[in-house]
Amino acid sequence: MTSLITLRKSVALSFVALYLLIGVPLWYKLTTIYRASLPIEYIQDLYNNKFKEIHLTIPVFVKSDTYRFPDIHDAVQIQVNHLLRSKRQYVDWSLEIFPYNETIIDQATARGDDYHIVDLVLDEFVGYNLPYDSKTTIVYFDDTSVASNDLPFFIAQTLVEHTFELEWNHWSLKPDQNEPEQLANSDIAVNYNPNIHLSMSLLNGDGSPVAWEIDNTLKNIFTPFREMISPLVNFTVDAQIAYYNDLNLYQLNNVSNPTWHDLSHVIDLSELSTTNYFVEQNAINLVIVFPGKETNLDGLQFVNTNEENQWGSFIVPQWGVLIVNKSPLEDNALVTENYLNPIMLKFVKDLLRLLGVLDTKDKELSSPYIVIDSVKRIRIIDNLNKAVETLWSLIKLTHQFQQMAIPQEVLEDITNALDMRLELIDLLNNPHVGSNMDWNKALLMSNEIVKSCEKAFFHGEMLQQNFFPQEHKLAVYLPLLGPLSVVIFSGVKALFNEKKSESEEDITSKDEKKGLEEDIAEELKETKELGAIDDKDSISTPASTD
Amino acid sequence: MLFGLKKNCGVLGLSLLFILTGFASGVMGSHTNNWAVLVSTSRFWFNYRHMANVLSMYRTVKRLGIPDSQIILMLSDDVACNSRNLFPGSVFNNKDHAIDLYGESVEVDYRGYEVTVENFIRLLTDRWSEDQPKSKRLLTDENSNIFIYMTGHGGDDFLKFQDAEEIASEDIADAFAQMYEKKRYNEILFMIDTCQANTMFSKFYSPNILAVGSSELDESSYSHHSDVEIGVAVIDRFTYYTLEYLEQIEKNSTLTLQDLFDSYTFEKVHSHTGVRTDLFQRDVKDVLITDFFGNVQNILPEGDVIGSPAEIDEELDNDIKALVQLALERKLQHAINNTANGAATAPEKEEEETNETQFKTVSVENINKLDNLKSSNDLNVSSNKWNHILVALSCVVMFTILHTMGKKLDIATA
Repeated sequence: MTSLITLRKSVALSFVALYLLIGVPLWYKLTTIYRASLPIEYIQDLYNNKFKEIHLTIPVFVKSDTYRFPDIHDAVQIQVNHLLRSKRQYVDWSLEIFPYNETIIDQATARGDDYHIVDLVLDEFVGYNLPYDSKTTIVYFDDTSVASNDLPFFIAQTLVEHTFELEWNHWSLKPDQNEPEQLANSDIAVNYNPNIHLSMSLLNGDGSPVAWEIDNTLKNIFTPFREMISPLVNFTVDAQIAYYNDLNLYQLNNVSNPTWHDLSHVIDLSELSTTNYFVEQNAINLVIVFPGKETNLDGLQFVNTNEENQWGSFIVPQWGVLIVNKSPLEDNALVTENYLNPIMLKFVKDLLRLLGVLDTKDKELSSPYIVIDSVKRIRIIDNLNKAVETLWSLIKLTHQFQQMAIPQEVLEDITNALDMRLELIDLLNNPHVGSNMDWNKALLMSNEIVKSCEKAFFHGEMLQQNFFPQEHKLAVYLPLLGPLSVVIFSGVKALFNEKKSESEEDITSKDEKKGLEEDIAEELKETKELGAIDDKDSISTPASTD
Repeated sequence: MLFGLKKNCGVLGLSLLFILTGFASGVMGSHTNNWAVLVSTSRFWFNYRHMANVLSMYRTVKRLGIPDSQIILMLSDDVACNSRNLFPGSVFNNKDHAIDLYGESVEVDYRGYEVTVENFIRLLTDRWSEDQPKSKRLLTDENSNIFIYMTGHGGDDFLKFQDAEEIASEDIADAFAQMYEKKRYNEILFMIDTCQANTMFSKFYSPNILAVGSSELDESSYSHHSDVEIGVAVIDRFTYYTLEYLEQIEKNSTLTLQDLFDSYTFEKVHSHTGVRTDLFQRDVKDVLITDFFGNVQNILPEGDVIGSPAEIDEELDNDIKALVQLALERKLQHAINNTANGAATAPEKEEEETNETQFKTVSVENINKLDNLKSSNDLNVSSNKWNHILVALSCVVMFTILHTMGKKLDIATA
């Protein structure tokens, strides 16, 4: 009997132990929000000192065919450093001046690569020229400038203020400035993205069939340009023809000089935004619209034409370019390559503005190669800044929302981004690395860093709503925990109560026995006092008679 | 002297640019694109009015130029196609059935049971799995003004979703905080039509959010009227009068949000509407209705953008031509290099080389064409009539030949 109770007792206690020692910790562990340990302090340090470990160096080779200047590169280096230190820079950058090294340059040329070169040409005057088709800076000098030792300064000035004008202007901070201004016309340019979609549409106000030689125009003008600029921005292109859509231009039929107000409020571009599906996040549009013959037989009065072009051009900020043709199309018309080519050239110009490469203030683009190269470097630094800002935002949010899960993938993405960042900084800081391909690679890496940071920030599982608030946790799990707890604890309680009652029963029976004995003893005592029974004879001894 | 003249031109140009920029900035405000998130959270036929509420806003924002790709419509039920709808495919909000809110083309992004708290929060914070389609994402940036409209059955600090779950005001406030942190909006107009609606924006703490609600704490929002033919209440009072006001707005309207808010009276709405402006930086009197309900895209003529005389721009045009030509030359050079490398390393690829050569020939012709661009700018839109006649004639000739051949074949077979 005793062993059975002990067994039951030990079973009940083992259940309680299982419940408390394994069940509760396991439940707590499995229902606790997973928060990977992020490198908070490191990211905070990066945010506070964004470019402290960056010293961007751009190699420049000095070449002189006429005279031999054995120490010109050292002299130019000193002047360049002095010039760059004259203004506070947003990011620490400098030029690394090397003597011309034919082997390096030839190797680069053989693989279709190039470096910045300063070509010193003896002439009768002092000046410079930036050719439109290479990254060479031609510096003209005369004997006087050599004799007066002005040549190094002049080369340095040409390099900093002209060849690297974009970097110099963009990264030089005013005394009260902490961050540089946007690269170019930020109110017009789209946000930088390495992948942008281009949507080209020909709109006809009527329904008569139209064809256009867009293939040839693209092949001859746009595709080479697209390929040239692809390290900076990679475009995907689609082209379409739409009928019975003149963007409401017919309403401006009799308006000779419409204001921005009229144009913005009448022209409806909303339908165009939904016609195509593309993967890229950003899109730039080129829309060539012909008015309908029925509504605008005499053409649109407000379109100012000239001998060359029968169309007017409009920029829609952060959206694209609108080409409005003055006259409607004939039936079954073919819009030829000759008609489209000037439009495409105009589009290329506006595209450079929409990409922020060309400022609205720019009146020329005499050295596009150098400009595009500079834009790449500025985008690299902007990307690094953007990546750190994103990481810091993520840290702030995870700190603010303690219930927000932080999956392991987020940590991996962040680690990946930080590793790539260090790799990129090594590349930027290396004075011997800086050819065209190197900058392409660096830009690509910086884009990857941004992508990795964005991926971490927008991780799908990192959603506060996915998980219950801690204060609701018990309530949510009560349907599971309640019955379990009731069964286990009430069982143990019942068992112990049972044991207790058994003990009480024992005590009661003992008391009862004791009481009975006492009663018998009293009776015996009373009988003895009466002399009926001999004290020596026990009760068990039967009375005998004669 | 020449330098001085140029300098003066420069000053003039800069002044012009300054004037135009100032002018343009007045036009553009601080946002360049508009988005709308319209959410109905209730299911079932008797909640017809909530669908009508949302579709009223959808109709307005679409009419005022926000493209469907920038409208996220979350419609928790499809009353237009409900079997109890006496007017299938239509949703009306007024007695004379004057406005069909469902219209001809409604793009519903989240329908039925897709309208959940989780999806709504995911939408705002843009936290999705990789396969989420772009059309169902809120791809806003720091230049976006977002109009968020919600309707359904609400209470103190919550709004019910689908009879199954609810969203708390803190949840929306936290989602906005995350959006602000990642620069996902310029300004937000939050409008809500539920019972105790004003409690839903009481917890907001992120800047640049303007909020308006239909009723205050412990106060109900009421439906406008029941339609005899449809058999249920068709729209809520707050939204009914909002739509009535917005119907008079066109893209060029100068009416402000203050005008809209002033139009809400207790006599109309039967509850106390609330407006929260403390987080919003601009004065509501200066905020055009079209800043949130419309998408007025600035269309700037070339002269306004450049702010420079045409002759100066010519130089840039020439530079662009040179750039394009240079790109073409580079492409050609690259093709030639590839061909040369290919010939040296892989003689078996004869076919590909031939193609490259053909390509080169075509491209060389194109360079010449580019040179002649200047002189070939006349409108050269030729008619295709002759082409069509030729094609038709060819068809007739072919048909005749085939017919004759067929006859001969028949004779031969016979």
